Amino acid sequence: MPASAASQRSILAVIPARNEAPTVADIVRRTLAGGQCDVLVVNDASTDETAGLAEAAGAAVIDLPFSLGAWGATQTGMRYAQRNRYRTVVTLDADGQHHPEELPTLLGSLRRTGSNVVIGTYSARMSAARRLAGRYFRLLTQMNVQDFTSGLRAYDRRAVRALASREASLLDYQDMGVLMLLSKKGLILHEVPTQMSPRRTGASRVFASWLLVARYMLHTTVLCFAQIGVRSRVLFRSQSARSRMA
Amino acid sequence: MSSQLTAGLIGALLAGAILYLVRRDHMHGSYALWWLAIAAAILILGVFPPVIDWLGRITGISYPPVLPIIVGIGMILIRMLRTDIDRSRQERQLRRLAQKLAILEQELSTVRRDRANAPGDKTASPRTKSAQVIPLSKPSDG
Repeated sequence: MPASAASQRSILAVIPARNEAPTVADIVRRTLAGGQCDVLVVNDASTDETAGLAEAAGAAVIDLPFSLGAWGATQTGMRYAQRNRYRTVVTLDADGQHHPEELPTLLGSLRRTGSNVVIGTYSARMSAARRLAGRYFRLLTQMNVQDFTSGLRAYDRRAVRALASREASLLDYQDMGVLMLLSKKGLILHEVPTQMSPRRTGASRVFASWLLVARYMLHTTVLCFAQIGVRSRVLFRSQSARSRMA
Repeated sequence: MSSQLTAGLIGALLAGAILYLVRRDHMHGSYALWWLAIAAAILILGVFPPVIDWLGRITGISYPPVLPIIVGIGMILIRMLRTDIDRSRQERQLRRLAQKLAILEQELSTVRRDRANAPGDKTASPRTKSAQVIPLSKPSDG
């Protein structure tokens, strides 16, 4: 009974899923196998049996009445976590590209470094387009994030509170907008290298076609410009962390 | 005189239509006020076109008929901006409402399932049981 165990455990794994029936059950089982966290699948108005499979695999399932997009689904998980008093939230994708076995690395890093957010990055995965986009946004925001679209992240309580807020409700992806909001609030971000696999099914919701990429870049650029002036408060530790690990 | 009649007629028709729609209660509060003001302005300018020439002289515009057009377009732009701001606000509310609904639905089904699985008396105990299971949320949550 995942929900009633909420009082015992303090970590919630949030898995937003939209039509991920082929992989979602496996991801849920592997996440639960870690024994550290409860699993919540936020079903973003799937038209296949994602919700049923996730529930059968042992996850708590929230069914959104209509699609809210990747971030809308993730934020639902944040609000659920807040409501049920979880201390830490980890997010991972349901399509199998994130390995639940990497979660201890993220959680360990969150505890050890005292940061508020840990992003699991996998630089080898990045395509030329993604790398170029990354360089562009680093230039624009002065934030030193390698993989700004990675959905494999761990958030502490402060970060969850910030992301469950109304302020974060008009964002569309768990990416630059989320990172800028977090750094605006003075939260400390940290990156750890992790292993990821190529997507087995489905395509990236962000980097699906060139037209979508163009739209996304424009959208995010506007978002970045709207945030200019707050970037001076950005606290970033990833540089020092990387050199420590090397 | 006929041009003034045409202008007056158009002004009266527009103002009348707006007044009719506002009075049918399709708009709330500030919208109704805005549109009533627009209706009044149209009526005045329609019935008394010389007002435009007078305004043109005051503002130093050599071709006064362009004045209502400029002001009108400006008003339309401001109105559209307001509409988009309103729509964004509503989108935010809609998203949060959908999230809250989904969370509560999940909670409800969990409580129902716990209740169905609860051993023994099914009428007396569930109330206290569900009260223990549902964590209280902060009022600021929504």
